[in-house]
Amino acid sequence: MPKWGMVIDLEKCTGCQACTVACGMENSRLPGENWQDVVFFTEGEYPSVQVKWFPRPCMHCENPSCVHVCPTRATYKTEEGFVLVDWNKCIGCKYCMIACPYGVRFYTDEKPLNPPDPRKVFRSGDAHSWNPPWKAPQEDWKHGVGIQPRGVVSKCTFCYHRVSKAPKGVADLSEHDPRTRDYTPACVVACPPTARYFGDLDNPESEVSKLIANKRGVRLLDHLGNKPQVYYLAGEGGAVPSNRAIKNS
Amino acid sequence: MSLELLNTIVTRRRFLQATAAAGAAAGFGLQRTAELVPASAQAAVPAPKTTIVKNVCHQCPARCGIDVHVTDGRVHAIYGSLESPISNGKLCPKGYLGAYILYDPDRFRGPMKRTNPRKGRDEDPKFVPISWDEALQTVADRLNALRAKGESHRFALVYGRGWGASDAGLFRPFARLYGSPNVGLGHSSICADASKKAKLLQTGYYDYNAYDYAHTNYLLIFGASFLEAYRPYNYNLQVWGEMRSKSPRTRITAVDVHWNTTLAGADRALLIKPGTDGALALAIAHVILTEGLWDRNFVGDFKDGVNRFKRGEAALRAEDFEEKWVKGLVEWWNLELKDRTPQWAERVTSIPARDIVAVARELATTKPAIALFERGATAHTNGVYNGLAIHALNALIGSMFAEGGLLHHMGVPYGKLPANWEDYLDDYAKSDERRKPRIDGAGTEFLMASNQIQAIASNHLAGKPYKLDTILFYMTAPIYSQPEPRKWEEALQTMFVIDTSPFPSENAMMADLVLPDHTYLERLQTAEIYPFQGWPMATLRVPAVKPLYDTKVFGDVLIEIGKRIKGPMGEYYRKLDSTENIIRHLAKGFEENPGTNGVNGFESWKEKGCWYRKPYPWRQVRGEFYEWDGSGYNRRMTQEEVKAKLLKTPSGKFELRAGYVQDNEKYASYIEKQLGIARERVGFPQWVEPKFFGGGDLHFISPKVPLQAEGRAANLPHAIAISQPVLGGKKTVYLEIHPETAKRRGIRDGDRVRVRSEAGSIEAIARYFPGVRPDVVVLPNLHGHWAWGRWAKNRLPTGSASEVIVNRSEPISGLAAYYATKVFVEKV
Repeated sequence: MPKWGMVIDLEKCTGCQACTVACGMENSRLPGENWQDVVFFTEGEYPSVQVKWFPRPCMHCENPSCVHVCPTRATYKTEEGFVLVDWNKCIGCKYCMIACPYGVRFYTDEKPLNPPDPRKVFRSGDAHSWNPPWKAPQEDWKHGVGIQPRGVVSKCTFCYHRVSKAPKGVADLSEHDPRTRDYTPACVVACPPTARYFGDLDNPESEVSKLIANKRGVRLLDHLGNKPQVYYLAGEGGAVPSNRAIKNS
Repeated sequence: MSLELLNTIVTRRRFLQATAAAGAAAGFGLQRTAELVPASAQAAVPAPKTTIVKNVCHQCPARCGIDVHVTDGRVHAIYGSLESPISNGKLCPKGYLGAYILYDPDRFRGPMKRTNPRKGRDEDPKFVPISWDEALQTVADRLNALRAKGESHRFALVYGRGWGASDAGLFRPFARLYGSPNVGLGHSSICADASKKAKLLQTGYYDYNAYDYAHTNYLLIFGASFLEAYRPYNYNLQVWGEMRSKSPRTRITAVDVHWNTTLAGADRALLIKPGTDGALALAIAHVILTEGLWDRNFVGDFKDGVNRFKRGEAALRAEDFEEKWVKGLVEWWNLELKDRTPQWAERVTSIPARDIVAVARELATTKPAIALFERGATAHTNGVYNGLAIHALNALIGSMFAEGGLLHHMGVPYGKLPANWEDYLDDYAKSDERRKPRIDGAGTEFLMASNQIQAIASNHLAGKPYKLDTILFYMTAPIYSQPEPRKWEEALQTMFVIDTSPFPSENAMMADLVLPDHTYLERLQTAEIYPFQGWPMATLRVPAVKPLYDTKVFGDVLIEIGKRIKGPMGEYYRKLDSTENIIRHLAKGFEENPGTNGVNGFESWKEKGCWYRKPYPWRQVRGEFYEWDGSGYNRRMTQEEVKAKLLKTPSGKFELRAGYVQDNEKYASYIEKQLGIARERVGFPQWVEPKFFGGGDLHFISPKVPLQAEGRAANLPHAIAISQPVLGGKKTVYLEIHPETAKRRGIRDGDRVRVRSEAGSIEAIARYFPGVRPDVVVLPNLHGHWAWGRWAKNRLPTGSASEVIVNRSEPISGLAAYYATKVFVEKV
């Protein structure tokens, strides 16, 4: 049984947002419903300013706050490490959105970012919240995959519909290897500078395990105890915003 | 919420889910492999098959190969093609927008004509659908009538993003056969002609360079937005990952006027005063020479090995220096470089002298290294001279044709077309009467420019040298993208306007006839690659789906119009038949020249999506040139061979004294007149003061940003939602302004402001950004549409950034001086 995890090398990340757009395409997201966002921020002042960015998927925590608070057990953690929402059970109470320290959950029925509302332009005739002509063919509400119904919370699935079909026993899901490319999460496939790695955190031979060990992988807001399964490599080129807040516990 | 109510909701949802799953299974189930069918839909339905079609991304010039995923006749995903050497399985963020473009609900659905004779922003064109036959015949009738009156020059075909042999390649024969110098007026003068012109002067090569980034150890970038827009953006991002993690890590210095992701990612960021990049480059060259850091293998040396380049000391004798692959170094020093000290440059550029010295030392002592520049440095009145100064660095450090350096780009060995156009010229086309000057003034008023697209509107209005009758646009929308676009709005009211875009742009709103093209996922079209790695490559768009609407690929529209022109011209186009026929003929060239990937004809080209031939055949190693002999760069080239194949200048060397202008009386006196440079020194890289227009007190810079997509993302809500020029703008694009600059004008963060120059004014939201120079404001040319579709329209800014840009051009190349406008910014 693998424990899937991701490593993001901030030194290589160019802030291009290919991950964001590819995720939106692969998972038929609404505009602005960025399951995989890149957050930009600045510090300092001309001529010594810092412009920084931080790519942020769902952390698929080992100890997920969202799962603890969900009143209907719609949000759950699988044995392979995915944190998912079962849209059959979700009642849209948004408790998980408040509990999640990473801000990576989205409620379906928000106002459109830029009108007119694409849900009205591409109206659904059934229980789906909308019906765009480019929607992806996969649909699996139990795992929060596909176009969601109205009134639920959605989130990054680690591309469950791809990863869960990976051949048994593989250590790494690499987009560069044609044998594993189709099972690799869209944001990893998309990342132009190859700043993302995906694999089995429980396998010490996996690329992700080696990178975390060799290049000092850190986790966002680690002091909260959520134990994310997404690790960051800060290297010389990037900063994990939470680093300053890390406390010895 | 009571528990009971909660249960009810859950029950209802379960019911809905069951219904929906059945619908999903019947309608659009699955995909990649049968294994991927989700548990809920697995049992009953056979998995629909997903096919992958090869196409080429359309959202910038790079020509990235894409895999288009189609299930049940619908496109739902696009990924970079592993077979494409430029994509390597990856895409930039724009690449994933393709399906939204295909299914844009505001696309034109077929040919239409205007029924409202009045034109303007507030006039509904009242388009009504017509048949393709009527549409094409309308154009042909107009063209035949002009020709009958001897006025064929009054038809112009103006284009922007041409792709290759099956669209832009058709223009020259059409122009000559029909008899108009204005068919095929390109947009290169609003693109990057100044950098090309600088390279032409120094290396005899009129194109963009190819760069061997993967093997370089130092990259000095002048105003090229490497991580935002510089082509090929996708590959730049890929190779950035390599450069920043290889050993040794490639060090990067980036020069710009505001902090962007390139500067943020670089090792050193230099914020330069706009228009002064040439001064920085000259000072770097000065340091390289005075400190004796030039590449002696490539450049040569003083005969006695003693470095006589001493600050301020002129009158060095050219015969004391033995030049290897450069020409005019000592003359350059005597005339210009001796005084271009880092201290001088600090006063001009505002970059500290110590930084200039550090960059010069790094650039010259880290090998291989590349000095790269684009519009930030060249879209100024002194753009070509800035370019000459920067490109000269590549000679001094010996990076031309070196591993990890700069290369030139090779053409594609296509097969012959089904007919030779020169055999179909009639007496009318051949007559001297047809040698009319171009409407854009290229070759006349702009003696040395290839194009001057931004002059067409005002020249037409002034009747200079005549007025146009009919204009056809392909892949360009000047009302939005060109400086002073309102001139175009005025001009198009007095012409018969034909637009071929599938999208309802501002330009289309002025059209009398709309002949909509397919979108790219519906097209069969060739696209030869832009300079990339030097070796030749030809990519092919294969239709992923049948055309959604009654549209026609532009190449076929032009051929069909040609067929309807009277005389032998019509015969020529009947021989061409169609773009597909052309493409099949082109592909025959691959039978004799099979690609590295085995592509040897039309069918294999379609299957792989690209033909390419590696390796690049030439390399300079320590001052000697070698040719690939099948196993390595082993065959040493003679000076004559280098001149014939690589350095195609009069001297066969990298000319620091550019004979192209220095030894051409007409060009030299033109430059003297335009720029006030004494004619005996026009050929040398030198400092030329930039001129600024518009009357304001702040430099106005409109850089390109990652989601801009050459304007093709205008109506895509997904692109709008994440357009994030540095500070984030999920609805709009912000005017970047330094907090101190803003406070002095009483502007608070988030205030609506007016940006005003003598050319015009627009309103936008100001955003405090401490990473922009205090004397600069930045507004990417994004949003601000008054047409283009339901999401594009009526969002701030109130207009395109072009509306405040004064229409002045760099005189040598004709490049629009986009960054030479100064504006006032005031609270609304």
